[in-house]
Amino acid sequence: MQKFKPNSKQNPRTLEEINEKIKKGDAQVLTAEEMKRLVESSGVEVAFKEIDVVTTGTFGAMCSSGAIINTGHSDPPIKMDKVWINDVPICHPGAAVDLYIGPTAMSETQPFEYGGGHLIEDLVNGKEVDLKATAYGTDCYPRTQLRTQLTKDDLNQFYLLNFRNCYQHYNCAVNSRDETIYTYMGKLLPHFRNATFSGAGELNPLMNDPDYETIGMGTRIFLGGTQGYVIGEGTQHEARSQNGTLMVRGDAKKMSTEFLQGAALTKYGTSLYVGIGIPIPILNLGLAKKTAIRDEEIFTSVVDYGVPRRDRPKLRQVSYKELKSGSMTLEDKRIRVSSLSSLKVARKIAKTLKEWIESSEFLLTAPVERLPLDNVFKPMRQTEETPFVAGVMHAAVTCAENEPIRDIASRIVTRSVNHIIVVDEHGKITGIVTSWDITRAMAEGRKALADVVSRRVVTAKPDEPLEIASKRMAKHNISALPVIDHEGRVLGIVTSEDVSKLLGR
Amino acid sequence: MVRILLRFSEALVEKPITSQIILELKVPINIITAHVNSKGGEILAEIPDDALDKTVKAFRAKGVEVSIPKLVEVDMEACFSCGTCVSLCPVEAISIDKDGSVVFDREKCVGSTCSACVDACPARAIKSVKQLGTIDKGGLKKKAQKQS
Repeated sequence: MQKFKPNSKQNPRTLEEINEKIKKGDAQVLTAEEMKRLVESSGVEVAFKEIDVVTTGTFGAMCSSGAIINTGHSDPPIKMDKVWINDVPICHPGAAVDLYIGPTAMSETQPFEYGGGHLIEDLVNGKEVDLKATAYGTDCYPRTQLRTQLTKDDLNQFYLLNFRNCYQHYNCAVNSRDETIYTYMGKLLPHFRNATFSGAGELNPLMNDPDYETIGMGTRIFLGGTQGYVIGEGTQHEARSQNGTLMVRGDAKKMSTEFLQGAALTKYGTSLYVGIGIPIPILNLGLAKKTAIRDEEIFTSVVDYGVPRRDRPKLRQVSYKELKSGSMTLEDKRIRVSSLSSLKVARKIAKTLKEWIESSEFLLTAPVERLPLDNVFKPMRQTEETPFVAGVMHAAVTCAENEPIRDIASRIVTRSVNHIIVVDEHGKITGIVTSWDITRAMAEGRKALADVVSRRVVTAKPDEPLEIASKRMAKHNISALPVIDHEGRVLGIVTSEDVSKLLGR
Repeated sequence: MVRILLRFSEALVEKPITSQIILELKVPINIITAHVNSKGGEILAEIPDDALDKTVKAFRAKGVEVSIPKLVEVDMEACFSCGTCVSLCPVEAISIDKDGSVVFDREKCVGSTCSACVDACPARAIKSVKQLGTIDKGGLKKKAQKQS
């Protein structure tokens, strides 16, 4: 495991030596935040010489988590098919009575407010939960209906088995749209009026060992308030772009709801906040240097979640230092920034882990296998094409502000359209008129376009999925959307006829 | 300054009561938020301490319901100080202190008339409170100060 620079003047130490010191109560342990201060004040050589272990921590919403439970067999036995606990649908991936609680599965009676994350929290808290199951019945498992109440003490196993946790860093989210959107990155106000981010930055476990020298399969960690283990890289792990993730396991019966909490994200769904802390043994000078990383050296992208695509526009790079300051600049404006993960709890995790090590309760383990450093997180292979606005839009018929209504009326007839987009001299949209607006104007004897034009125009962007544009038309009860670029220049128009043609093809 | 919440019944909404009281009493009433719907109206206003009693009396004499707004209720047991609410507050009443705890400034909060933070809380620890503190004779100032 240990990689030493051959010319290093400092003597490296081994994990065995550190564990011996921990057993004797002599280990020198700092939290990652304390380590950074020590390196700044005394230099990395001194820090390496004096410090054996650095503890890290993070506490954030980690949707790709879950708990595996085994309920034991009923009499007569049942091979559970459909299962609900506290009205939350439960996955039954295995044999008869093994269940997997996913935190994003939502209660059928209180959707968006109570879900698998809350259920895991309730179980950890010792609460009694209500299980309902149905089955098709077999010769060996004859029962078809079951209802019972359970607590964690009644379960044979109750393990957290989280398949993607502890992201090294994550996007900062903003919203360019005209409306507030509710995302897994929280509530995002329109026109870039706020930003949200997640992650503990310089306190994040993987940021302090970015080359996975000490964190690997088998690393003992703090998980949800007890000892757990890294069991491999998490799904979507991509170490080389600093998007490393972990798969972890821990005994949920011993966990504490201080470090494991259900969460409700409005209009997104439910989740689970998970607390993870990882000790980094300072085996060599390089690790002392790496654990000294500061928030100002950790950057992430500001991403526009207003664009409903996989690859969303990245607007700038921002450091965790700026994010943690509570505000940042975007397009020359100061906007307020919210953290979605709790730095307060992350600090408490790093501190608790430090205390466990200092009091000889927690020994470090060497990984039995390194985590991959070079794998790539691929996008989905899609065998069916998704239509986008750009693919179906056609040229728009436009007019200027000062054109007489009679001219516009004749253009509607000759071009055989229902919508005329009003543009300024730069081709930017200023309004829209429909054949109905013009008919009414003629009937009422109005001459000026200004009397009939609609100024609040609902529009589409060319790179939007057509499905989203169609829903917008339905929502506003309109039959066409001018397609504009980011500066408001008219690129074309998409109508409900375009959509029906596509569906009827 | 003391914040009071004024409730106007349907019948009172169309009358210029607030303007009349400002003119009659020469009190600089600062209107923070105002909402009107078919069932009536609601104004959150700031009144100078020394003019509080007479202003409240004047509003009540004109049939307006006056109370101390209980703004938001935060369950600090449930709050795990993520800070999601911080950037949503239009009056910057929510901040994070040195140790990372989320702190609500009740002086600045405009409460149930805004509620932007309520649906953003993943712990569902923030409740918008429509129910209002009652004002007893002479008890008004005391209660108002408790809000700070």
